[in-house]
Amino acid sequence: MLTLNRVSRRYGETIALDGVDFVVPENTYMSLLGASGSGKTTLLRLIAGFEEPDQGEISINGARIDGQPSHLRDIGFVFQNFALFPHLTVFENVAFGLRHRVNAPVKNEKEIKERTDNALELVGLEGFGHRAVSAISGGQRQRVALARTLVTEPRIVLLDEPLGALDANLRSRMCDELKAIRERLKVSFLHVTGSETEALMMGDKVAVLADGKIVQTGAPDTLFAEPLNAASARHMNAWNIFDASLCAGPVGQGAIAVRFDQIDISATGQAPETRPHLKAKYLTGEFNGPTALSFFRAEDGTLLQIIDHLSQPRLPDLVEGESYDLHFAPDAVRQFHGAA
Amino acid sequence: MESRILRPTLAIYSGIFLLFLYGPMIVLAILSFQSADGGPQFPIREWSTYWYQHLLGLAETSRVSQLPVGDSLIRSIILAFMTTVVSTILGVMSAEAFRTKFKGSGPAFYLIILGMMVPGVLVGLGMALLSNTLGISRAWFGTSFVLHVVYTYPFAFLVLLAIFNRFDRTVEEASMSLGVSPAQTFRRVTFPIIFPGVLSAMLFSFTLSYDEFSRTLFTAGRELTLPLAIYGTFSVEIYPNLFAFGVLTTLFSFTLLVIYGLLMKRFTSKASRFKGQEEG
Amino acid sequence: MTTLSTDTPSDTSLSPAQLREKKDRRRAITLLTPGLLWMALFMVLPMIMVVYVSFWTQTTFTVESTLTTASWERFLSSSTYLGAIWTTLRIWAIVLIATIVVGYPVALFIGLFVRNKTLQTALLVACVIPFWTSFLIRVIAWRPMLGTEGAINAILMQLGIINEPLTFLLFSEFSVLVGMTQIYVVFMVGPITFMLGRIDPSVIEAARDLGASFGTIFRRIILPLSLPGVMVGAIFVSVMVLGEFATAASLSGRKVNLLGNIIVSQVGSLKWAFAAVAGVVLTIIITAVIALALRLVDLRKEM
Repeated sequence: MLTLNRVSRRYGETIALDGVDFVVPENTYMSLLGASGSGKTTLLRLIAGFEEPDQGEISINGARIDGQPSHLRDIGFVFQNFALFPHLTVFENVAFGLRHRVNAPVKNEKEIKERTDNALELVGLEGFGHRAVSAISGGQRQRVALARTLVTEPRIVLLDEPLGALDANLRSRMCDELKAIRERLKVSFLHVTGSETEALMMGDKVAVLADGKIVQTGAPDTLFAEPLNAASARHMNAWNIFDASLCAGPVGQGAIAVRFDQIDISATGQAPETRPHLKAKYLTGEFNGPTALSFFRAEDGTLLQIIDHLSQPRLPDLVEGESYDLHFAPDAVRQFHGAA
Repeated sequence: MESRILRPTLAIYSGIFLLFLYGPMIVLAILSFQSADGGPQFPIREWSTYWYQHLLGLAETSRVSQLPVGDSLIRSIILAFMTTVVSTILGVMSAEAFRTKFKGSGPAFYLIILGMMVPGVLVGLGMALLSNTLGISRAWFGTSFVLHVVYTYPFAFLVLLAIFNRFDRTVEEASMSLGVSPAQTFRRVTFPIIFPGVLSAMLFSFTLSYDEFSRTLFTAGRELTLPLAIYGTFSVEIYPNLFAFGVLTTLFSFTLLVIYGLLMKRFTSKASRFKGQEEG
Repeated sequence: MTTLSTDTPSDTSLSPAQLREKKDRRRAITLLTPGLLWMALFMVLPMIMVVYVSFWTQTTFTVESTLTTASWERFLSSSTYLGAIWTTLRIWAIVLIATIVVGYPVALFIGLFVRNKTLQTALLVACVIPFWTSFLIRVIAWRPMLGTEGAINAILMQLGIINEPLTFLLFSEFSVLVGMTQIYVVFMVGPITFMLGRIDPSVIEAARDLGASFGTIFRRIILPLSLPGVMVGAIFVSVMVLGEFATAASLSGRKVNLLGNIIVSQVGSLKWAFAAVAGVVLTIIITAVIALALRLVDLRKEM
């Protein structure tokens, strides 16, 4: 179990992490979702020991690891750019840790070969061992990077936007594979990403990092359906967040959120009395295949989005520049305390 | 369009410039094939390899004394080798140090760079004075050697600094995350990747030291290095044997250059960096 | 909860980040120490020695550490030596200008007009290759070129342009200037080409599309962007020319006496204190030149 306790990191005046409390349980695929600049890479670098925190404690199974040199932490790290050793073959890249590590290096060539071949097989690269790392594709490099880390059997594997350098097709295939590999090895993965779909799809649990703090941790479906605060709702990219005072109806006060797919539209003044509603101007629509996205501007300038699923259309024909009443069920509203 | 006139003009000018650079050496090379009774100027009385034989001590006794190149050549090569080793090690260490930000890095940078700026005749004089005062005898492997390093170390340092500027730090972090110590990481990852730079630094150091003489002039003591032996002939009349020597030493340098090129090619083809991503 | 901490008690007040920073800094300084020590012992100390000895007492064949300004007085009152300062500065200025004038168009051609990368590299290599020839051999190579029976005179006589060989070509200030320009011009071509190579060709094309003439483009874009290269080249050429003596010794027939030649001849006659005075004067001149240049360009940024 990896535990972060009030971990902070500053770069001069910039605060990257501000008292992060965070737990990665055993045998878990944990996604960490954060926008660029939210400090998510910093968090991984602190755990791996490439940098040290200004405050707070990092421990694995109760033993502090902050202050330890990174090569003694026994934590795997998969880089966004893969960071393969350009002067070594695929096989030697994977065997590198076994051969040269400080703790229990493997001297027996036969064992090295066996374990390296197993790791290559695990990531689906049997027979690629002799290749130069410059002679394989991006997806294959990603696998080499993964095999290189997994072969050393680290206590936890940190993945820094591991799919960021891959194209869309490859990304979804690697998602499935990463999950399957992890389940076979029963080691915890901490996967950092800026994409909410990736985070929700991959994670047994998902944590949201915003403004240097973990704002919510939970199962993907819980997080998606019941964000606890505006920040984590914003990261799901599925919630309209606006001020309750814009609405007529029983919605409480302060910032509220309603999911893109839970808002209906009527002509002005036609909204059902029982449902909270607000007036907004239709800006434009975006057609995404199975779904269509419509953009509205509320009276205070807030941008609102509504998703319509083509199989069950529920929106009327909209005219750009016209105002409509947007309404939703009272129980669709999520009320947040504090500022939006 | 001006470039229609400008481009050919500049091209022709650049051709003349290359002639200016190479002309004297070409003339020198031609004159090195002067006959035994010919002087160090035109016309060529008869084409011959007499002066090459003379240089290598194969010619019958002649009016011209042989150039003292034998021992001095060996000294120069040993000196250049020692200088190369020390300045490359110092260069790698310093460039590695400059990857970390630290206070006083500015002055430290300029102190190192000063080594290639200070005229050789000045440090040479200073070193001669210092060794006189301290009672240390001057020798090519002592006083000259340390000055050669003062001169070549900044070059090695700059070459490696440039290499480290383009160095991707994450490969070192990857190595450490695999449990490999910083020392082993340097040996197994950093060093192999910067090796082309190390090779360049070595080439620089060797050729600069091999050819260096203003720093050697006051500090070499009795035993001469090769450039000093050549410098000694400046004051007396010159003969085509000097030209023959010039041709041979140039060929020697080119051999070095070719070896360097081959080593470089081997290493860069082996360690070619990631080239874009393709589907797999 | 067990704590794994190897910190010494005095360090407990520091955060792990500060400890890491301290460790990294200590490592950097450890790595740098041998090099800096080398420079301090074998460069700075000798230079201090030169200044120190310039105030020693010179007897016929030895120096004594009794302090005096006699050598300085003799140097500054001698028209020969003051003349050497003037000669050094004159030769430096002429060679510096000559390398810029001769080298700039070549750099312009290689850096801007040659689009093919391979050809560009080949041309640069062609400029650098002469460096793999011994410096002294390159100097001496001018003798059969410029001598009264040398190549130039031979060609000019053949062509019937002259009847008598030109005698000013060799063993004159002219031959020193030509030799130095040829040897050092590459240090000007290199940095300028490097800077020009950095210019995005589309910028120039855009300017041309907007109707700018080459003169305007040169003045507004090319020249300003290449100036740092000129400065870096000027620093290289300056320090090398100011410290020169071999070219003058072998090509001027003792007609050109630079400060470097003074030092060599004084050391030859064991006039150490006097050589030291010349050394200090030379140091002052070079320091002034470099200081001036560094005010105009940040060397560390350009490298």
